Amino acid sequence: MLHHIIIVLVFAGTPFCQTAAAHSNRDTSLHKTISISIQSLVQSVAGDSVSCIIPFSRAGNLILLRAKADTTDGNFVLDTGAPGLVLNITYFRDYPTTVADDEQLGITGTVADVSKTRVNEFKLGCIKSEAVSADLINLGHLENVKGVRIFGLIGLAVFNQCELIIDYENNLLYVHKIGKKETASYRHAMLKDTSAYNSIPIEIWNHKILAVTYINGKKLKLIIDSGAETNMLDSRLPGVVFENVEIIKRISLNGAGNKKVEALYGNLSNLTIGNQPAGILPVVITNLEKTCFGVNSCIDGVLGFDFLGLHKIGFNFVNNQMYIWK
Amino acid sequence: MEMRRRNIISLKCLTALFCLLLSITLHAQPPVKSYTVKDGKMYIALGKDLPKNALDSFVNKYELTDLDLEHFLQNGIADSLTQLGWTVDINNAQLYVISKPLFSTDNLIDPAEKIFITQDPSSDIIAPTNQAHFGYNHFKNKSPFAVKDSVVTFYLRSHTNAHNVRLAGNFSNWEKSALPMRKTDSGWVTKVKLNKGKYLYKFIIDGNWTIDHDNANTENDGMGNDNSVYYYTNYNFNLNGYTNTKKVFLAGSFNGWRNDELAMIRTATGWTIPVYLSEGTHTYRFVADGKWLADPDNKDQLPNEFNDFNSVIRIGKPFVFKLPGFKDAKKIALFGSFNNWKENELFMTKNATGWELAYTLGPGNYEYKLIVDGRKIGDSINDANLSLVIQPNFTFRLKGYANAKTVCLGGDMNNWNPGSFKMKREGDEWIFKAHLNKGKHIYKFIVDGKWILDPGNKLWEQNEFGTNNSVLWMEED
Repeated sequence: MLHHIIIVLVFAGTPFCQTAAAHSNRDTSLHKTISISIQSLVQSVAGDSVSCIIPFSRAGNLILLRAKADTTDGNFVLDTGAPGLVLNITYFRDYPTTVADDEQLGITGTVADVSKTRVNEFKLGCIKSEAVSADLINLGHLENVKGVRIFGLIGLAVFNQCELIIDYENNLLYVHKIGKKETASYRHAMLKDTSAYNSIPIEIWNHKILAVTYINGKKLKLIIDSGAETNMLDSRLPGVVFENVEIIKRISLNGAGNKKVEALYGNLSNLTIGNQPAGILPVVITNLEKTCFGVNSCIDGVLGFDFLGLHKIGFNFVNNQMYIWK
Repeated sequence: MEMRRRNIISLKCLTALFCLLLSITLHAQPPVKSYTVKDGKMYIALGKDLPKNALDSFVNKYELTDLDLEHFLQNGIADSLTQLGWTVDINNAQLYVISKPLFSTDNLIDPAEKIFITQDPSSDIIAPTNQAHFGYNHFKNKSPFAVKDSVVTFYLRSHTNAHNVRLAGNFSNWEKSALPMRKTDSGWVTKVKLNKGKYLYKFIIDGNWTIDHDNANTENDGMGNDNSVYYYTNYNFNLNGYTNTKKVFLAGSFNGWRNDELAMIRTATGWTIPVYLSEGTHTYRFVADGKWLADPDNKDQLPNEFNDFNSVIRIGKPFVFKLPGFKDAKKIALFGSFNNWKENELFMTKNATGWELAYTLGPGNYEYKLIVDGRKIGDSINDANLSLVIQPNFTFRLKGYANAKTVCLGGDMNNWNPGSFKMKREGDEWIFKAHLNKGKHIYKFIVDGKWILDPGNKLWEQNEFGTNNSVLWMEED
């Protein structure tokens, strides 16, 4: 029998608590849970596995998690659409770059600073990673839009070997690092009642979560992305897909450098994900040509907060399953 | 493979167009109007017999004003549409079909760009601020909360079957010091001692958080959650008489002079409306059944652009603008960011040593100029706007540069105006004391005309124009 150690870290009075309290004034049961979790972050360790519940705040519909990269701690966006750790270069200016600041001509014609660095230690709740490779990117514009300081993005690589459950309703993230001996057997207690959720296989493709969905029998591969507020569909998909979309309006998408691109906003019906109907989903229709990596490797679309926020949702990156609560 | 995919798409486009034409032709009654997407293109189909009102509602619904479809339908000239990238695919006796490809967005592989692109287009959530300049309460189904000696009685109507009700707000550090409410015949009450200002709150009814559904004032906290908003008001506007008038509105500098927003409440002897106003000088008028009038009981007035007068209220301590000399001048006016750059409103008065004007201003950074006998006067060296900071809370410092002639601060706090915030030499550094609100600020120093980053601040970022700005965060007001 595994020996469980429960550690209760009391954060009352720390800046973390103040921030969470000041910003976590939200509806219904949410407050109740937040107030419990901001007072204590429960961390349990068993063998080489580790579990914790991390309360989060939000910037719009993006998840903000408190994390620490070496000595710098602050808000990071949970972005399952990013391959790994991304640091806002403004706050990590003096980090040595492992690749020189080569000026890559981006697709927009603008010069993008692409540099990589290494963080000696990255801590998110109970998850501690060492020698983490990170991209350095300017996230100043995102800060300006959201009005909060953002130190970086936490992408998929940080959750290697993990099970992740996002509870948007209660603003809690459940993280469990799956131990070597429990790879086949581990399930969070919330997953015991198998009738409460659907289990859908996922594929990790180019460091992104890919799930197979269907619209009227047409198969679509969609990226599951907590760093996207909207859902997206490629405008080049077959007509049968758009027969299920009611166009609401024409919109302009904000790109970097004040560049605007025309797109359409509508309501998508008849999407099923693992036999579970997704209901009516707001969706942005745009040309996703630039997401193609090469031959046959374009994505069909993205499921962002407008889908994820409807359910409690979990991912097991060891057995590559996604859990969507009904 | 990608090439083949494109060819297939082209073929599909032609087929789609044919199908679209067929379906539209077959179903051409009633007048056609549709907006669809197929194979990477947007299609708009419009019947040539489409009535104007139907076209207008179509244009409004899909936000297509820039296409000027009315003009196109009238004369069939597609030049402006073509310039916008649209192609006329079908032009027959019954209808037009126009199309435009949807071009690809920026590089979605870049995580930062992806986040911008996938922002919710239906809502522009801006982080709220509790620094209210103006507000009023808007309760339904119940009277505004009773106030006596700075004590506000919060009231939750009904819910008398609940077992436990608490009040939480930014005044109670939310749940941490949430206040128990007491049951009455009709609901729940609790008393809170508050200063005048704006407050956010919610009720916790048997553990469930809820906004006050009898209060129409709610505010999103920028994190996807709504709170109720209560203003502990600090000024009552009153209009005596006008008892035969049907409606009286208050309009002023604080609400952009909108004349149909602030409905006054009828009393036995006239009209009233309690509001919260921030520190500063505010001008206003009443609108009685559509007729504008100054407050007959307020002698404090300032001239307006209609050769008439606005009534004035001043909250806070006055600042005295002083201009020594100018003994021969006949008329000196003052205008600036604080009065929306109105040139004919604020006139200085002559005294023994020069000219002066007392004017009440709240905390902030202001710019202004003078008009001396019709001649506009700014800074003596570069004629830039003059600056004034009320209640500075941050000092910008630039060490060295001993030989510089002028050093200025430019940033979001003065709209990047290069000459208005001149720094002073003190010891071995240049300083400028500014008032900064909570949140992020970006700025640079301008040394003898050359823009430089703040060498004493290691935080900087690149802006959309490819140049760098220093960054600082004010954590508290």
